[in-house]
Amino acid sequence: MSRGFNRLLDAVVRIDVREIQFNDGAKRITSGVGSGVIISNDGLVLTNAHVVSPQAVEISVTLASLERVGAKLVGWDHWTDLALLRLDLDTVKRRGLSFATADFGDSDGLFVGQTVFAVGTPHGLTRTVTRGIISNNDRYFEDSRGVNGYETGAFNTWLQTDAAINPGNSGGPLATEDGKVVGINSRGYIGADNLGFAIPAKVARTVAATLVKSGAVTRSYAGIGFRELQDLERFYALSANTGVLVANVDVGSPAARAGLRAGDVVLTLNGRKVDGRFPEQLPPIQQSIANLPVGTTIKLGVKRGDQVVELSAVTEKLESRVGEEWAFEKWGLTVRKVSRAYARENQLTDETGVVVLGVQPGYPAAQAGLARGDIITKFGSMTLTELAQLKVLYAAYETMPEPQLVEAQRNRRISLYVIKP
Amino acid sequence: MRFLRCYFLSVSIFALAARATPLPELFNERVKSVVAVEFFVHTETDRQPVTVLGTVIDTAGTIILPGAAIGPSVAPGQLKDFKIYRPGRTESAPATYLGQDAFTGWHFVRVAEKSRAGLVPVTHWPAMKSDPALSDELWGIGLRNKDEDFQPYFLSSRVAVLMKLPQKTVILGSDVAGPGLPVFNTAGELAGLAQTSFGQNFLIFSRNQRGNPIVLVNVEESSVVLLADEVLPHLGRIPQSVSGRPIAWFGAYGLQPMDPEVAKLLKLENQSGVVVSDIMKSSPADLAGLQERDIVLAIDGHPLPRLKPDRVVVGYFGQEILRHQPGETLTLSVLRGATRVELTVKLGDEPKLVREADRRYFERLGFTAREFLSNDGIMHRATPGTTEGVMVHFVKPGSAVATAGLRPDDWVREIDGTEIKAYAQAVGKLTAIEADIARSEFVLLVSRSGETQVLRVKLN
Repeated sequence: MSRGFNRLLDAVVRIDVREIQFNDGAKRITSGVGSGVIISNDGLVLTNAHVVSPQAVEISVTLASLERVGAKLVGWDHWTDLALLRLDLDTVKRRGLSFATADFGDSDGLFVGQTVFAVGTPHGLTRTVTRGIISNNDRYFEDSRGVNGYETGAFNTWLQTDAAINPGNSGGPLATEDGKVVGINSRGYIGADNLGFAIPAKVARTVAATLVKSGAVTRSYAGIGFRELQDLERFYALSANTGVLVANVDVGSPAARAGLRAGDVVLTLNGRKVDGRFPEQLPPIQQSIANLPVGTTIKLGVKRGDQVVELSAVTEKLESRVGEEWAFEKWGLTVRKVSRAYARENQLTDETGVVVLGVQPGYPAAQAGLARGDIITKFGSMTLTELAQLKVLYAAYETMPEPQLVEAQRNRRISLYVIKP
Repeated sequence: MRFLRCYFLSVSIFALAARATPLPELFNERVKSVVAVEFFVHTETDRQPVTVLGTVIDTAGTIILPGAAIGPSVAPGQLKDFKIYRPGRTESAPATYLGQDAFTGWHFVRVAEKSRAGLVPVTHWPAMKSDPALSDELWGIGLRNKDEDFQPYFLSSRVAVLMKLPQKTVILGSDVAGPGLPVFNTAGELAGLAQTSFGQNFLIFSRNQRGNPIVLVNVEESSVVLLADEVLPHLGRIPQSVSGRPIAWFGAYGLQPMDPEVAKLLKLENQSGVVVSDIMKSSPADLAGLQERDIVLAIDGHPLPRLKPDRVVVGYFGQEILRHQPGETLTLSVLRGATRVELTVKLGDEPKLVREADRRYFERLGFTAREFLSNDGIMHRATPGTTEGVMVHFVKPGSAVATAGLRPDDWVREIDGTEIKAYAQAVGKLTAIEADIARSEFVLLVSRSGETQVLRVKLN
């Protein structure tokens, strides 16, 4: 292999994570293994958002030298499935450890058929190198729950490779022969052979830069669900290479308030022509909205029937569908705040309430009859608009346990329960 | 000697009094009150035969069938070729479907006049004067399948428990009759009507699975009997029309029972209540001022009883409504937060049901469009009063629309980019598309659980 590739090998790490999960009515610690790549001399490690999340309590990085170092999460972005860690530099210094750093290559310059290598820790097998080619360099792959229940893939396309990508490869680099990182390996099709997907280096670099600066990526949201026109140009009487279909408009979103409707065709976005004939053209269109500062007015040139109308919407901050999670141990109850996206998905009237993630058998919540998926909207006489309210009520219960009336919805049916010691 | 003779005589008299008629004789008489009913459900692509059991209720050849015999979305027009078979006979007699009664759930069928001879109404047999007691022996009739000429057979068991569900119901130790058929005591008195049987929990063991829980439901026999008290007063509820109307309408949905713990916390021991989840705009409940989250505690001054299991109270409440006629009023005591509110409800007419809705099957396109009903509005959380669009009632597998991704219960909002405001408009557009052989495609905008999708349907 090239000298560059050997240097890359020295920059690839194994990541062992212990994180909190709230699924069973109690806080549980689970552990997982993934891969990562060191990208700077000050110890920044790039990996996947589904490897290290904000719920991680212990991150341990194994360097190429087989030395173990702790690390902290710098930021994460589930939309692109990327997370950024920083090695504990004090330990590195104190123990006199050394590591190499990897260089990014040009992911835009990749061609289909080009040889690439995946480096990582598949199934815990540290420092495994597999080889393949770029199978497709512009794959559309959106998943509304792809990263531990979080949305992913709306704003970027993926590199597809036939280099073997297995669980544990996640977060490791996809590199060219000269050792340049062109992608971050992220997912494979379960049950399929040699269908692996990586986040292009171009996306990874930009997101990493933002995460170092602010720990998170802020995006603009308009609430438009685009779909490719694919062969519908004639039906909508459009000139060639123009327009993208609006398949869905989120209820209550800026686009809905602007009057955009499903079935409309967006011809221009802020005066620029939009071309969305094929699925892989959709992420760049979404990205062009997301990139705008929150609160920007976007102007949409829209074809509706025979008319062309101009609509304008003011973007809001994009939020995840997964709200804050918490465990109330004495009730044997774990919950997650209802987010705007969750409320929309489930056709709830508003964001009131917390979703039950789990109940522990035999504990008060389970005894009361609460079950996973119930939405607790009221506790005592208090309507739950914030998770913090429930934390306060729980603290009061801890000091003086008394039966409490709980109102919850299941499939939009309202029921009452009593949580009692 | 004389003394001995006397003794024998008295014993034989005693026995005669207890068993006036031997069971086989009772069985052979009472089997004249039961029939097997066969009919066909015509769907878009199928003709599905159905066989159920029925009980003769009068001399006009009227027969009642269990509510579960016909699904709620089946339109009366889809029910064809009703026939009745006497137990043990091969010849059939034609019959007519009369409709379903909303209160009892029974479907009513009437046998053609010339074929009524030999049928004996179940009311011909005396009814038990008191409820059967624990451990009493009851017996009933089962019918074998069509290929065995609906051969009648004898079943018997003992009363295990008496419950209010909310009607008085006994459950026996084992199956006692075919569902829908009468049950008697050993004196031949009518005890009640066997209901659709309950599921029973079993564990299934197999080579690869250990003890997987499953629920088994016996469809041929039942151990659940609705008592004669709850049956006889309602035999006169023969529908005036096939629609089963008039049906009283309240307009509150998603009613949930209040469990005893909640009742205790609210200081309402020994009674129950129902929590209201959803209220249809402009419904009687809405006009009376009922609100979401209200807890209904009493109807016309009678507190809702505590029934077991908890959810039975919801059925009780529903029956109390259906007992009334549209236009009648009732008063409700409602708990709203911490205050009690009294409401007067004037019941309305049940809005159009799925089985009554207009629908049309478009064979070339491969689906059935059905008019949008107010109940669909509740299902789809539509803005109250919305009547736009049409519902997809049926999608033919492998058809053009199925390939395009259309599914049953999708709500069609636009056809070829035109907003659908009424059922007739949708039918007009779809008819034109279907008739246009040159057409190669059309586009539907559908709404499915709050999200819309544009479906492109390729024809030919």
